[in-house]
Amino acid sequence: MANQYRLENIFWALGTVAFIAITSYLIGLVAKFLVKLRGFSETEQRKAFWGALFAGPWISGFFIFVAGPTLVSLYYSFTDYKLGKPIEWIGLENYRVLLKGEGTYGGRFKGAMFNSFYYAAIGVPLQIVTSLGMAMLLNREVKGIRLFRTIFYLPVILAGGPAVLLAWRYMFATNGGFVNVSLQRFADSFFLFDYIYRSVVYVVESLNGFYIGMAVRDDPIGPLKYTFPALLGLFLIGPLAFGEWEESKRNRALRIIEILGAILVGVLFSKGLAANPINPVWTYAFGLMAVGIMILNARAEKWSAIRTTQIIALVFIAASLVMTLKAADFNPTKGDAPKYLIALIVAALPLMVPFFGTWTAFTTKLMLAAVGILGVIIFVLLIPGQLDGGRLELIFRYLTFQSAIEQPNNMDYLEEVFPFETISTMWFYGSIILVAAIAALLHERYPKQRKVFLYAAFIFFALIALNSFLDTRRYFQDFANIAEANGKPNYHFARFHEFADEYPENRRVPFWLTNDIWSKPSLVLITMWSSGAGMLIFLAALKGVPRSLYEAAEVDGASGVQKFFKITLPMISPALFYNIVIGVIASLQTFEMVFIIGTTETESSLMSAAFFLYQRTFQQLEIGQGSAASWILVVIIVGLTAMQFRFSKWVHYEA
Amino acid sequence: MANVLTLKTVKLDQVTPRWWHRLGGIRTAIFYVVMVAISAFSLFPLVWMAGTSLKTAEEANRSQLNIIPEEAQWDNYTHLIEDSNFQRAYLNSVFVTTMVLIGTTVSVSLVAFAFSRLEWKGRNVVFALMLGTLMIPDQMTMVPQYVLFFKLGWLRSFNPITLPGFFAGGAALIFLLRQFMMTIPKEIDEAAMMDGANPIQTWWYIIMPLCRPAIATISIFLFVGNWNSLFRPIVYLKQAELTTMPIYVSLLNNNQESPIPWQNIMAASVLFVLPVLVTFILSQRFFVEGITLTGSKG
Repeated sequence: MANQYRLENIFWALGTVAFIAITSYLIGLVAKFLVKLRGFSETEQRKAFWGALFAGPWISGFFIFVAGPTLVSLYYSFTDYKLGKPIEWIGLENYRVLLKGEGTYGGRFKGAMFNSFYYAAIGVPLQIVTSLGMAMLLNREVKGIRLFRTIFYLPVILAGGPAVLLAWRYMFATNGGFVNVSLQRFADSFFLFDYIYRSVVYVVESLNGFYIGMAVRDDPIGPLKYTFPALLGLFLIGPLAFGEWEESKRNRALRIIEILGAILVGVLFSKGLAANPINPVWTYAFGLMAVGIMILNARAEKWSAIRTTQIIALVFIAASLVMTLKAADFNPTKGDAPKYLIALIVAALPLMVPFFGTWTAFTTKLMLAAVGILGVIIFVLLIPGQLDGGRLELIFRYLTFQSAIEQPNNMDYLEEVFPFETISTMWFYGSIILVAAIAALLHERYPKQRKVFLYAAFIFFALIALNSFLDTRRYFQDFANIAEANGKPNYHFARFHEFADEYPENRRVPFWLTNDIWSKPSLVLITMWSSGAGMLIFLAALKGVPRSLYEAAEVDGASGVQKFFKITLPMISPALFYNIVIGVIASLQTFEMVFIIGTTETESSLMSAAFFLYQRTFQQLEIGQGSAASWILVVIIVGLTAMQFRFSKWVHYEA
Repeated sequence: MANVLTLKTVKLDQVTPRWWHRLGGIRTAIFYVVMVAISAFSLFPLVWMAGTSLKTAEEANRSQLNIIPEEAQWDNYTHLIEDSNFQRAYLNSVFVTTMVLIGTTVSVSLVAFAFSRLEWKGRNVVFALMLGTLMIPDQMTMVPQYVLFFKLGWLRSFNPITLPGFFAGGAALIFLLRQFMMTIPKEIDEAAMMDGANPIQTWWYIIMPLCRPAIATISIFLFVGNWNSLFRPIVYLKQAELTTMPIYVSLLNNNQESPIPWQNIMAASVLFVLPVLVTFILSQRFFVEGITLTGSKG
């Protein structure tokens, strides 16, 4: 044991003990004095002295290691402090960079957040299912149950340390690793298993490729852009299309138009409706939408809503007018300015109408005429710009998967179909609004047409979603050509490609840990393996469910599944919620797994907030940014914990 | 009982399938097969680790499923134990864990004593404050603490790892011990006070001996947590002389040897995991109780 560092540490430890003893004594004296000040008896003073003396280690530790550092770190987060360099106040700069994901490190932090979202959406539910399943198996009085409980819990203790993570890394080797070899044996044993194995691999691969594309928007992963709006369309139009049409559905359609419309306008506005050379067709479309909402509200006899729409729309138009004029240096005839100004004025005109008098049948007619005129203008403007060059045909080809079949390695058609570089997805959002509007307009008189129309719209969104999803898969299958064609290197699928050559799709195996697509599933598998902590919490909760409830249910002839969903799940919901929150927090704090299992290639896809903190603060010594990151993390964790406390009250069953 | 009421409407044709009851003994067999399968899944990394640690380099890098080596290579272990780096890392780990264990256990029991056995003005306020710190994640204080230790000149020493524990580190542990101390009847220490014992004597001679099970629980938590701990050591113990086992093991993987010497890495891993494993098996009762009490992961 004779080692200089250890001896030194023992001396320091003795010093610390002396320090704690002295401070505790002082804290005791302070407590005594405070109690005396408030006029308590001798006995109370002595009690306070002893109490504070014993609590002294914690109190002094609280000030040195918790309260002090917390305040200091709040200060650091507003500075550009780097260890060994002078401190400079930079205000909210650190937070801005991290929250907006600017630059290399902001991007990494954002990536860490996306990864946590992945674990929250996929990893944590799988972990919950595993731990609950194990807990339910353990929740019975049979021989050897304690032994099984010990074994099930064992991974938790081991997973905390690097040794077993290294063993996992070893077993995860793509070529001849234990996991892949045993999976292969399993698949080979029976032809049906082979199909299952391959489908699972296919689905995991596609989902993760899809997720990476979602998370990393800057990458040339075109097709994904269309999946989200298409799914949104499915989600919003679906409830309208199926089931009986009721009054509430029309209201829902109106809500869709209003909310999506507001978002759309906001996005367009933030891109600079007038300042940027955007097609003025958007201004007409905006006017059309506003007028449409007003007509629909008039049909529903919601007069105050008309006024609100009118005012908001006019404020937008006025603001755009000012911006346009400002961009043209207040010279209305300069350059393109007239084009925009005319569009704004034409769009504003019908919006002025309801100012005069009350809304009558004539107003409705006037507004419908405005809709017609605006519609014609938009149509005329759109045709030469959008529908020439066989674009309609291209959209048709996209919808019918023809392009994908004929040109499997060429995605140029996507660029042709949806031309605007940044706002092309707006077409989909716009079409959701359009569908909702038409459905609402077809309300009374044409029930049949409405149904057919909604079904068609639903199928349209379903096809787009499916096709763009498949495109994603084709995309990372052949990322090299496409990335090259786009002129952007794509590091996310780099190692994937290397292995994909060796294992073509018909004999694909999981490429654990080697690339971004498979790195996260590997981590999820390890967390599932070590889900024993949640299991114990579930087990305690399950033991607390009264037997009488099950007996009553059995008398009523409830099946096992019913008992599970109607009794067990509601009764253990506090534990369930606790485990979910803890799981999400743990995913933010993952460090060991990223450190041991991550490689240079997969680091970005495994990056957690804690690992970001480690790199930024302790490797690059950027204390300022590290502090800001830690505060963001703390706000998230405290928010989740507070949510857990709040929800655990009402999640609990009503007894 | 809304849930039970809804069950009244259940139709009679949805009862448990009869075949499941008819299975009888086979049902139990299926249950045990499932349990054994999950156990195998839980244990196989450990078994694989142990098996590989006894293989030759060539066999360890071969693609096969043999867990048991063709010929046990005990040399892997003897070489490792003779390696001075390994010895130093192991002793460092033992040293650090012991220091944290002693410091934290003693200080935590002092504070828990103040929160449970002593009545004093302001106790509830301080206790609430302590529970509040449970919400604060490590990450918040880690950065400024690093600056603090940097300014103290402690970055090249064990101090940042061992000394914070002396300040009753770990609100969850204080809480656990306090809950246990609350169950001891008040009369015991009142009698001691009558006999003229001061609180320090009461703490050491009366309460501490009664708290052995709870102290065992928190010691086990502390031991496992600190033995496995990688984050703080890797931040502070960058020097070779200060390396602890988690760092040693994790760095074994990063050397550029090809083929990767998995048999050596796994042998070091086995020796590293062994104390934790033995502790866990001997004391799993404390674990289960501690976790259900605090909900913490240990």
